[in-house]
Amino acid sequence: MKNQAKQMQIDSNDHISKIKKLLKGELGLLLILVILVITFMILSPYFFTSRNLLNITRQVSITLIVAIGMTFVILTGEIDLSVGSLAALAGIATAAVLSASGSILLAILTGLGMGFLMGSINGLLTVYGKVQSFIVTLAMLGIARGIGLVWTGGKPISGLPIAFGKLGAGYIGPIPFSTLIAVGVFIIAYYFMNRTKHGIYMRSIGANTQAAELSAIPVKKYRVIAFMISGALSGLGGILITSRLLSAQPTAAEGMELNVIAAVILGGASLSGGIGTILGTLLGAMVIGVIDNGMNLIGVSAFFQQIVKGIIILIAVMAKRGE
Amino acid sequence: MSETVDKTAKTVLKLEAIQKSFGGVKALKGVDFELNEGEVHALLGENGAGKSTLIKILTGVYQMDSGNIFINGNTVKVENPIAARYKGIAAIYQELSLVESLSVAQNIFLGHEPVKNFLGQINYKAIIEQSIDYLKTFGINIQPNTMVSELGMGEKRILEIVKALSINANILVLDEPTTGMSAAEIEKLFAIMDDMKHKKVNMIYITHYLDEVFRVCDRASVFRDGENSGTFNVKTTDSKSLIKAMLGKELKDEFPIRIDKPEGETLLETNHFKSTKMREPVSFKLKKGEILGITGIIGAGKSELALGLFGADVCESGELLLNGKKVIHKSPKDAHENGFAFIPEDRKDQGLFLDLSIEHNITVTNIDKVIKKTFVSLKDKEKMAFKTAEKLKVKPLNIKADAAKLSGGNQQKVVIGKWLSGEPKVILMDEPTRGIDVGAKTEIYKLIQTLASSGVGIIIFSAEFKEINGICDRILILRKGQIVREIMKENSTTEAILSVALGGDQ
Repeated sequence: MKNQAKQMQIDSNDHISKIKKLLKGELGLLLILVILVITFMILSPYFFTSRNLLNITRQVSITLIVAIGMTFVILTGEIDLSVGSLAALAGIATAAVLSASGSILLAILTGLGMGFLMGSINGLLTVYGKVQSFIVTLAMLGIARGIGLVWTGGKPISGLPIAFGKLGAGYIGPIPFSTLIAVGVFIIAYYFMNRTKHGIYMRSIGANTQAAELSAIPVKKYRVIAFMISGALSGLGGILITSRLLSAQPTAAEGMELNVIAAVILGGASLSGGIGTILGTLLGAMVIGVIDNGMNLIGVSAFFQQIVKGIIILIAVMAKRGE
Repeated sequence: MSETVDKTAKTVLKLEAIQKSFGGVKALKGVDFELNEGEVHALLGENGAGKSTLIKILTGVYQMDSGNIFINGNTVKVENPIAARYKGIAAIYQELSLVESLSVAQNIFLGHEPVKNFLGQINYKAIIEQSIDYLKTFGINIQPNTMVSELGMGEKRILEIVKALSINANILVLDEPTTGMSAAEIEKLFAIMDDMKHKKVNMIYITHYLDEVFRVCDRASVFRDGENSGTFNVKTTDSKSLIKAMLGKELKDEFPIRIDKPEGETLLETNHFKSTKMREPVSFKLKKGEILGITGIIGAGKSELALGLFGADVCESGELLLNGKKVIHKSPKDAHENGFAFIPEDRKDQGLFLDLSIEHNITVTNIDKVIKKTFVSLKDKEKMAFKTAEKLKVKPLNIKADAAKLSGGNQQKVVIGKWLSGEPKVILMDEPTRGIDVGAKTEIYKLIQTLASSGVGIIIFSAEFKEINGICDRILILRKGQIVREIMKENSTTEAILSVALGGDQ
């Protein structure tokens, strides 16, 4: 009898700790998102309309795509500060090829390839050059931005064909095309992370690199792959920005890395590696998107928005850590 | 502290009815404990018996739920580790608290540096002079200007003690201090402890090694299931009584008897094999179904050999033959593909993903086995983890829990478990029972025998001579990286192994 009671107590404790764990994870973040949505619903009648909600998904799509790439990097215990510069450079490459050849497909492949290539360099220098990724990608942040400026002479590449604009600014029915692309990336990344050995290996590497190596995981290869994914998805982000503006700006996406890292960390990832999910990153990006959109709607000044956003991010992360 | 000389020993520290629960699970169920002046008091018990919890309460890391702490007869409260230091309580944990990039002298005075003026300029001359004094008192031959990163494990541990005593600690807790120390360093430590005893430093000594208890301790308290199940006078007790108190039942055979004899077929052969980290090339053979022990004192080159065979270090010369065919391990992945498995010596740093689930830990190495078409089958993955955990009797059997939540013995089962679904041919085990309790040890020995009986070749790299003697079919002894002796089970005694390993046979 006594044993049974004890067992039940342990079971109920188990449940409580499970709920706590969930609240700390994605569920807690969802709760924060719901609170934010309700707050803005009360403050602005326009906020909770299907048009505005779809608009938010469009605004969030690029951050989300790049943040998904960043999730892989952060999961392996590294960081990629160069995503904004890589996006701009990939956008320039895309626009240059498009202007020269007129082929949208070739232009897109070039943009993706540029991101992938620069990401590979980040990865190879970090893993084989044994330089910390913070430093490698900080250097790349400057180098890639500089290449873009030199390439364009500091002037935007404009006059791109209207058809190319559909990618970033077009709609299928009521749904923004870039939202659909982001959803596609999310689904692929979700399966890649959770249902292939690649995702499982990367998580292991971030959790304990030495144990991963001694568990027969090809550690170096996967550390490089994470940077390749981040680079390629930055490239995709750059293509969408270029498409939306119908012009490639050498100064595009400046400071993007901060929003992207904020989304990943809000999503529950740990900068020390091993912890982080694609779903969390989606919710993190949505929280940031909702804050941006909601504050615009209720007319908070752009200067003040920065402060509020910073505070909300701090509170959200702290609330999730606390018991 | 008054220096009254009593004929009966004076009680320095008294713990009374200490209780502590973690989320409904009682870790301490009303523990009483007394520490007398000038004694070394051993805390024994299996992992999870409550030793660490009690020490953490004493040093202010945890707060007790109820109970009393008396120091020299006065009730005290230990709110946090800093308060503990002010009350003269210092603990030296397995994980060292030294700053590697500072000198010996700077470490001794870290946090209480003598300053010259209000700017906080440190009086380095005083630090060096006093450090020399301290080091001399303990008969330690280290220069105070040496960087801590240049010291060996034993010297670091001793430096920790010096550091604690430099702030006048009179209750010193030593948590498995001999981990990673060589035999000579252990002797040095014991000599220092004997000396401290005379200086009326009172010590609590946590260990798994009974021989250390008999060598250096005066009394021993045995913990079981969150209770103090008896305090023994070391002079009038024996290891059997202590083990009995630890287990609560008579321990019959620590080393299970092996029935099978290894088959004659050679499974693995090394031919003047040498990795970049090894000092000397080695040649030996391993038969199918054999348990081969490779032993030697710490630093003899056991781990280096194990890591070399597993491809974690690069092979420099010589060759490795598996079933007569040459194999090259450029990485652990190659070794895994050739049917090798490796249990590293440091479970937490090299073996486990502590913050990930037991399921993840068990399945990650052989994840290929549960891939259907492109994707990992979550159901099969779960099944694989559960089957392995069940077979290895992992307790609690909750594969979704983090590996960090398990006791040392169960963590070790998980580390072994990650290889088993790959049906390895050769298993390399580096210190497979380090820091785990007696019960779990026996389970692991049985598992090793079962695996060997199924035809797996097993090499145990261990500095625990009793274990090597008890479990292995054949024993190779390493000295300074070289195999100096081969002993068959029939002719093997712990004393003989120890004597060869220490070079006492020369």
